[in-house]
Amino acid sequence: MIHPVDTLLTLVLLSVLFSFGSSRLPALIKTVAFQGIVVSIVPFFIGHDMTAGGVAFTVVTLLIRGIIIPLLIYLAIKKVAIRREVEPIVGYHASLLGGLVLIVAAIFVSPKFNLPLASENALLLPTAITLLVAGMFLLMARRNAIAMVLGYIILENGIYLVGTGFSVRAHHIVEFGILLDVLAGVMIMAVILQNIKQAFDDVDTALLRTLKE
Amino acid sequence: MVEIVFLIPFFTGIVAFFLPKTAGRMLLVLTGAVHLLLSILLWITRPAALFNAYFAVTPEGLLSLLVISLLFFLISIYTTGYLEKADIRSEHVFTGSMLLFLSTMTMVTLSDHIMVMWIAIEATTLASAPLIYTHRSAASLEATWKYVLICSVGIALALLGSVLITVSMDVGGVDVPVAFSALTGVAERLDPFWLKTGFVFILVGYGTKMGLAPMHTWLPDAHSEAPSPASALLSGVLLNCAYLGIFKTNKIMHAAGLADFSGTILIVFGLASILAAATYILKQTEYKRLLAYSSIENMGIIAFGTGIGGLGAYGAVLCLIHHSLIKSSLFLSSGNLLLGYGNRLIEGTGRMAKLMPRTFVAFFGGFAAISGFPPFGIFIGELFIIIGAFKAGSYVAIGLFLLSICVIFAGFAGHVMKISYGDGDATIQMEEKPAMVWPQYALLLTSLLLCFWMPDTFYQTIMHAVNSIGGGF
Repeated sequence: MIHPVDTLLTLVLLSVLFSFGSSRLPALIKTVAFQGIVVSIVPFFIGHDMTAGGVAFTVVTLLIRGIIIPLLIYLAIKKVAIRREVEPIVGYHASLLGGLVLIVAAIFVSPKFNLPLASENALLLPTAITLLVAGMFLLMARRNAIAMVLGYIILENGIYLVGTGFSVRAHHIVEFGILLDVLAGVMIMAVILQNIKQAFDDVDTALLRTLKE
Repeated sequence: MVEIVFLIPFFTGIVAFFLPKTAGRMLLVLTGAVHLLLSILLWITRPAALFNAYFAVTPEGLLSLLVISLLFFLISIYTTGYLEKADIRSEHVFTGSMLLFLSTMTMVTLSDHIMVMWIAIEATTLASAPLIYTHRSAASLEATWKYVLICSVGIALALLGSVLITVSMDVGGVDVPVAFSALTGVAERLDPFWLKTGFVFILVGYGTKMGLAPMHTWLPDAHSEAPSPASALLSGVLLNCAYLGIFKTNKIMHAAGLADFSGTILIVFGLASILAAATYILKQTEYKRLLAYSSIENMGIIAFGTGIGGLGAYGAVLCLIHHSLIKSSLFLSSGNLLLGYGNRLIEGTGRMAKLMPRTFVAFFGGFAAISGFPPFGIFIGELFIIIGAFKAGSYVAIGLFLLSICVIFAGFAGHVMKISYGDGDATIQMEEKPAMVWPQYALLLTSLLLCFWMPDTFYQTIMHAVNSIGGGF
């Protein structure tokens, strides 16, 4: 029988491929929002017993990861009406192919880590690895500053998946602190994005090259 | 109640955002003084934390806390003078962020829980970002963007590293609180593979924030674009906070018998940073960037010494303390240079010895101290590191270390000579008020004093901290 978690994780993997192939920012933001929602509800289906506090925390995570953070970025680009291309350094076709290779490689290496919880949910570790690498990839392979922020969020989603999937001991208050930090970080990035747009009339990071050495 | 030390600056910081323009300056000095008093009180009484699952008073934390407190107090006095001269549009944001920054850094020194440590270090990034953007120029915008993005991504890796350490607890079947102190006690039972992986991620993550090469690219931009009092804090104490994260993880590694593994990686990153600084310092054209590269060098030296262990680790902690004192004094003096000459290029300065004699004494003294001249503390620290490295038999590393330090000294000296005695037709647009030179003197004198006379409790605390990573005589 296919475990419901694996179905969810397949959706996450698909969203990674989608984000690699998106050329337009609104589509990319929607993909990341979808990914945030799916990643946040994974804890509901993993074997841990849910307490009332756990449920409340998961809902808060869902709100912040899936709705507030993407909305912040969406508003940031809407307000300043920037060009909607992500300006890739690595092309979309190459990115997609790379994404496929990445998923295969992640599935291939995952069993070698021998993690205790990994046997129940075969896709958990491969998805986490894929998200981590995919976030890094978007950070490096897109020149558009907003796409870079989205890459950072994908990376954070990957870390969240590792945290919830494999370690069961974090207190909710601590996890909430982490979430708050991420949220504040994205807010500051959104403010900087608006200022970059006003100062340079674009968010192409190729313009940010005056400070060197 | 230990938590009050970071709660006070937190609340005054929030208040400062709503205060009228100049009222924030007094609040800054006042909070600095109260914070210093509380830190000293903490040294004397060493109380237990209220939330002892998350916070604890540790020897290395106490050392960093006292340095932060003293520096912030002196810097806040300088800031009152600086703000009168410098043209800063939204001063309340500046003072508020300074206080929040102090609060988050204090929280780092008191954190015991691995994740709380991460939260605090990430919070320092967020609190200091507005400081770098104070001048609202295109260059400062670029510096802030690089700082926030590179540090956030770097620190995200440290979060992954922290999660992997909890995985090592699961795999090893250990059930203790996820706190540095508890983990150090049961380190031998943690799964070594995941512990090592976690350490590497934490080192890369916090190493980004500490300015270790090759993750240092944001540092010269951020430190040069921030207003000088903020640069002094960024360079003097923020780097120490990141180091504290690495230090505490290294403690676990040492208790787990994996000190060779962590030591080798620290040595490699340390040497890479020293070499990177040596490469770039020669052709610097701006004096604040020069100081920033010198910070990268010193962080490299500290990582190198920590990796060597033994005498080297003791030397590293000495370097850490003295670097904070001296480098913050240099950055404050660079603020006077910037206000005086109105130019950030070395080209645009000259004849400082004649035009700004008091700043010259502080700047030149700071230069001599940071380059490792006796009798300043960096000299003693570096000497211990070199002796420790000889004892450990890493001759190639010592060769590279000494060569780079010589190159850095030569480059640094050339630039400082040009600023101090070089001829230029620059004129000076400020008078050297006492509040803008005495803090530098106080910092340098503290460094000097610590070389000749160290209070016994201070020495014991350093030894206590260093012993836990296999250092000492």
